Amino acid sequence: MALIFCASLYAGDCAPKTLTPEETQRRLNELAKSAQTEMAQHRFQQAARDLREAACLDPRDAKIFYGLGSMEAASGNFLEARKALAAADRLQPGSPLSLAMLVRVNASMGDVDSLKAALSQLAVRFATNGELHATLAQFLLQNKFSDLALAESLRSRKAGATSPQSMLDLAVLENTVGAYDDAIRNAVAIESQTALPAPVRASAAGIAGLSYESSGQREPAIAHLQKAIQLDPSRENSYLALSFLLEKAQRYGEAAAILEQGRARLPQSTALLLPLGSNLILAEKYAEGISVLQDLLRKSPNEYDAYLKLADAFRKTGASDKEIKILRELESRRPDYPQIHLLLARALLNFEPVDYSGTLDELALAEQASTPDAEIFYLRGKVYLATHRNDEAVAALQRAIELRPMDPSPYYQLGRLYEKLGEPQKAKDTFARMQYLKSNANANR
Amino acid sequence: MTRRDLLRSGTAAAILSPLAAAPGPQNLSYPLREIQGSLTPPDLFFVRDHFSEPELSLETWQLRIEGRVTHPRQLSFSDLLELPTKRIEAVLECSGNGTHGSAAGNAKWEGVPISFLFESAGLSHDAAFVALEGADTGRLGQNSSSFPYTQIVPLEKCLDAASLIAFKMNDLFLPRRNGFPARALFPGWYAMDSVKWLRRMVVLGRGDRHASFVDSGMDRLYNRVRLGANGMETRRLSAIQVKSAIAWPPDKMRLAAGFYEVWGFAWTGRESVREVAVSLNGGRGWEPANLQSSPAPYGWVRWRYKWTATPGEYSLMSRATDSQGNQQPLERDTARKDGYELNWCAPLSCSVR
Repeated sequence: MALIFCASLYAGDCAPKTLTPEETQRRLNELAKSAQTEMAQHRFQQAARDLREAACLDPRDAKIFYGLGSMEAASGNFLEARKALAAADRLQPGSPLSLAMLVRVNASMGDVDSLKAALSQLAVRFATNGELHATLAQFLLQNKFSDLALAESLRSRKAGATSPQSMLDLAVLENTVGAYDDAIRNAVAIESQTALPAPVRASAAGIAGLSYESSGQREPAIAHLQKAIQLDPSRENSYLALSFLLEKAQRYGEAAAILEQGRARLPQSTALLLPLGSNLILAEKYAEGISVLQDLLRKSPNEYDAYLKLADAFRKTGASDKEIKILRELESRRPDYPQIHLLLARALLNFEPVDYSGTLDELALAEQASTPDAEIFYLRGKVYLATHRNDEAVAALQRAIELRPMDPSPYYQLGRLYEKLGEPQKAKDTFARMQYLKSNANANR
Repeated sequence: MTRRDLLRSGTAAAILSPLAAAPGPQNLSYPLREIQGSLTPPDLFFVRDHFSEPELSLETWQLRIEGRVTHPRQLSFSDLLELPTKRIEAVLECSGNGTHGSAAGNAKWEGVPISFLFESAGLSHDAAFVALEGADTGRLGQNSSSFPYTQIVPLEKCLDAASLIAFKMNDLFLPRRNGFPARALFPGWYAMDSVKWLRRMVVLGRGDRHASFVDSGMDRLYNRVRLGANGMETRRLSAIQVKSAIAWPPDKMRLAAGFYEVWGFAWTGRESVREVAVSLNGGRGWEPANLQSSPAPYGWVRWRYKWTATPGEYSLMSRATDSQGNQQPLERDTARKDGYELNWCAPLSCSVR
């Protein structure tokens, strides 16, 4: 039945048979040789043409159809490739090769439904072939079909595959989907195999650490990430992940120490510098933090977040002039950096003597760059208040209130302004409203 | 990889929101006002457990389909992932959700249509209901035995094209507390039937008795009980009643006079929401709210009402009407003797100075 089907698939494309059996065999040999030569020269279309003729001459040979399917696929003729591979699979149902190639073809076409159908067929017919499913999982992972990679990885495991790479791949996928207990079990099994290369064990320790953290067990998470660093100190990710957990636990000094350790081991790494500088600042080691961030910006001047961290450090150390300077540098490199003008306006307001005109200019630019923002009007109100432009101050603060009516801060400034204007009742009402809002701060949004 | 890349990776995303197993049944809700846009993020999705979360392994998890089928099946998680899937946006609401309660959420779900699974299992001609069992077990009453969480759903609803075995929520795999690795999903119906941690589906005939449903006492929960002319009338809960909730402002809010946006969500289990109205005076007058998206079946719609608040005391209400003309009642039906389907327009107080 299958043979008739295969033959009928191609019958329409085949010339009527006029060759004797001997001539047929001779022609098949010629075509096979020619197809091999074409294939070696990457002339896949020509190879496919030869194999199409061969398929007409011998519609019972699965190898010809498999070869034809592969050449059609290599030529980008995916629909023809599918037809030939389906024929090959029907002729030789005991081999997974044609279906596995069909998986690749369907993946290249982005045809997920057909891809799933081919994988399901493989699952039913080759359930115990762990190596096959592990290979498919790697292919699918590389081609960003991560759900299907997980499916094949699980099938591989069920079939008894225990290669370190397949278990590691499975652990990574399990961690990604939230199966933390499974990920930990598989990763720890790899990590504890002392005969395996240290980098493989380090990867496993890293996955175990991340899965422990995700399942809410921070101490084992930290222990496994420390082990990952110990096993392979050249892995930047381990330092980053461990410092991230320590930072989350507000153990900034320890996070900085780990990153220093990584920096000493990987002096060329710039990825470690931003969190290192940030954690040093959080640990209130401002001078060291500033030095690290300045070093980072010398090496990677487009690391924009570093400018903000530096500005923060300068503000905290009272160096408003340096804060303004670094924000100006950020502005020159990335004029559209979100809220850069608002940041500059805030910094300018903190620097004595205050450049009120410059602050208003920055606020005008901030207003152009964003939708109406209460903060812009609030700061503008403060500037007008300080420069005795009282009517404009009232208007700006009222606009800030209109945009963010639940924020008590503009009411305070407005109350002060009314006091200054000699309007005690209005000032009293405004302060009362501020207190009123503060009293339900928990419910405010 | 930079630290930023690491933070962007799925692994780091998981770190950011640890989802550890809780020791006992969880009862979690989050204010609706935390929701940006119209989808409820997984970490703000309500949780109502009857029993403790089960510890499940992807490597051993199976879904059994048995009972009145010609080919009983056992599906692994790999099988589910490799079957054709469907995506659908749908609200899940706890049937006991309060009038402005937040035990409701809207998500984009992905899963395998139940009808597809039943087609391959082959339904018997006398199939009428499906018992769905979760992997969570426990006692509903102090004196009852331990049973798996079980609900029974009419076959007709299971065969609805929108009914799924869901394994993803908003493009991410289900969080453990929301049914990982797979749960039932019956769009348009109250959430108790969308059984979490699903592990078994038993197709039943009309007279079949399913022990874990009856003996556990589950058959006595989730019923609409109404005192009618002929005594108590009891009917199983199913479709979600039309409802709206004010997400902001919260109850007893104090506001300064100014411009505000009163906003919330509206949903129904029958077709889609048609309109939402807002009252500032306890239902004496109503004004239309603006729907912020096109209402679609099963999902909820976000609505807003622009309010210029002047000093005074207010009683805010919202009222939704669905495309079938069903409207939220202004009061609770006094003949109701149960605590479900709490969809009347309950007022929120608000004080403006």
